[in-house]
Amino acid sequence: MNIISVKNLRKSYHDGTDTIALKSVSFDVRQGEFLAIMGPSGSGKSTLLHLLGLLDSPTSGSYRFNDKNVTSYSSDELALLRNREIGFVFQMFNLLPRTSVLENVKLPLYYSDIPEREWEDRARSAVESVGLEHRMEHQQAELSGGEKQRVAIARALVTDPGVIFADEPTGNLDSKSGKNVMAIIQRLNEEHGKTIVLITHETATADHAERIIRLIDGEIESDARVRNRLKPEDEFVK
Amino acid sequence: MTIRHTFKTALTGLTTNRSRSFLTILGIVIGITAIMLVISLGSGAQALILGEVQGLGTNTIAIIPGQVSTSPSSSAAALYSDSLKPADVTALLNKSNVPDLKSLMPVVIGADAASYGPNTYQVTVFGGTDLIADIFNLVPAEGQFFDQSDVISYSSAVVIGADVANYLFDNQDPIGQNVKIKGRNFRVAGVLPKSGGGSLFNFDSMVIMPYTTAMTYVTGQKYYNRLIIQATSDKIVPVAAADIKLTLEESHNITDPAKDDFTVETQQTLANTLGTITSALTYFLVAVASIALFVGGVGIMNIMLVAVTERTKEIGLRKALGATDRDILAQFLLEAILLTAIGGIVGILLGAGLAFGISIGLSKGLGVNWQYVFPWGGAILGLSVSALIGLVFGGYPARQASKKSPIEALRYE
Repeated sequence: MNIISVKNLRKSYHDGTDTIALKSVSFDVRQGEFLAIMGPSGSGKSTLLHLLGLLDSPTSGSYRFNDKNVTSYSSDELALLRNREIGFVFQMFNLLPRTSVLENVKLPLYYSDIPEREWEDRARSAVESVGLEHRMEHQQAELSGGEKQRVAIARALVTDPGVIFADEPTGNLDSKSGKNVMAIIQRLNEEHGKTIVLITHETATADHAERIIRLIDGEIESDARVRNRLKPEDEFVK
Repeated sequence: MTIRHTFKTALTGLTTNRSRSFLTILGIVIGITAIMLVISLGSGAQALILGEVQGLGTNTIAIIPGQVSTSPSSSAAALYSDSLKPADVTALLNKSNVPDLKSLMPVVIGADAASYGPNTYQVTVFGGTDLIADIFNLVPAEGQFFDQSDVISYSSAVVIGADVANYLFDNQDPIGQNVKIKGRNFRVAGVLPKSGGGSLFNFDSMVIMPYTTAMTYVTGQKYYNRLIIQATSDKIVPVAAADIKLTLEESHNITDPAKDDFTVETQQTLANTLGTITSALTYFLVAVASIALFVGGVGIMNIMLVAVTERTKEIGLRKALGATDRDILAQFLLEAILLTAIGGIVGILLGAGLAFGISIGLSKGLGVNWQYVFPWGGAILGLSVSALIGLVFGGYPARQASKKSPIEALRYE
């Protein structure tokens, strides 16, 4: 079953001159698949991730998410969908300052209809699943980059979404932390069956995926399976 | 998001920027403090003035020549200043005209120089009867008040105020001495104790004498400046006032009450007039203080707009994680309302505290009976106005925040 199905997806911006960020992109993503989207900067990969993550709406084309035609959804319906079915991991981590790890992880729960009595347990087990149980009450400023990204992953997991979108998750990390983060992401895919869509320009990161889509100038240049896929325990070289 | 969590989120937003939050609410604090202070002191002043008026005795009725002006162009007061004549007194004293009249005191007032030996002092000459002692509770510190027989006999017995006694007699005993006014000797029968400046009526620089004496030897006038009447009871005052009005209209041949050349003032009408004046003054000062509140509101809007820009990334993150426009709007609106409400509460406490301090200062410093009034009305007004300011001035920034697209917000550096 396809969790993501896009046809002729197009996105252009009208700020003075017409800029086409994405020209007619079509592909499907199976449930449980681990897809990496690669491309140089300006290739439209960030725009594509934002569209797939329901953070932005396409200029034209169709997008079926979980078999729902989401192009016609209102902003409130999209917000609900993002909360329930999507988890985000950003390059810049985007944690709330002066807020504890546990509180940061709880943030999506505030906007969910999950009963409050479950919040504490859900947040704690999400933090434990990324191996930060000893950092529960720490503030984000006291964490290393790798730890911050693991908190962000825990936050993405807390509502138990089917899909996780990761935007350059290792882009701001040293190779050891990057490896650690990718191992966690790969485990989420293999052991917990999460669909992962990740954008990166680093081959070492992309090689953890099963499939790589390469974008150039807003178009798909190649869409291929990864033959020598990296394992979580493999050496991560930047 | 539940209200409780919106509350918690808003509160967290405020406490993470504690010093900025404090500076932001300062405008509101000052505005509400000013309003509380003005209302509290205004009520205190009103209570003081009304207390003094009530001290005159609720059965007292005053007749004033002319009309109390109802419009700025009315000059009736000046035109009819000599309208109260001895014939009026005779008419009023007639039991069939005003059956509830207990006593009547004609009053004449003049200003003149009083001297004793080489000393001269500018005094107010008050001509009346011993009723004045009754009404104002005047008990001479030395000697005694003149009585009704002195009035009938045009006696030269006078009672002098404390300042007059001090200036004219230095350390000598004034009792039995003669003071000279208009070249005539007046024998000092009594000296009043010092009344202080806080009172509505000040007798310290007065020379009080029988009105008969004053009219004949000092002012030379054939009319009265006031007629003071005591009714037989408090309850009968309105009836007596109506009787007095009819008697005087008849005596003055006036058929149209609008053309009355006198005004009958009861303690109640006097209290009403003074109450209106102090209320108007209070409202005016509240309006001035409100400007501070408005400026405070603009300050809130300014800071909230800065906060929204500064937290663009946070807004984007919250939206990416599932916050709706309404959630964001509620969060920022509640932050603004919390700010102003906290400012309002601090202002109320500060204003009430300052007013309390000033009340004590006024009672002790001026020696007047200044009552502290906690302005409940002002407190409720202040709290609701400050919350309203949060709603109005926080509304625009909060809307700006809620309209941010999640992706623009996330990209913001």
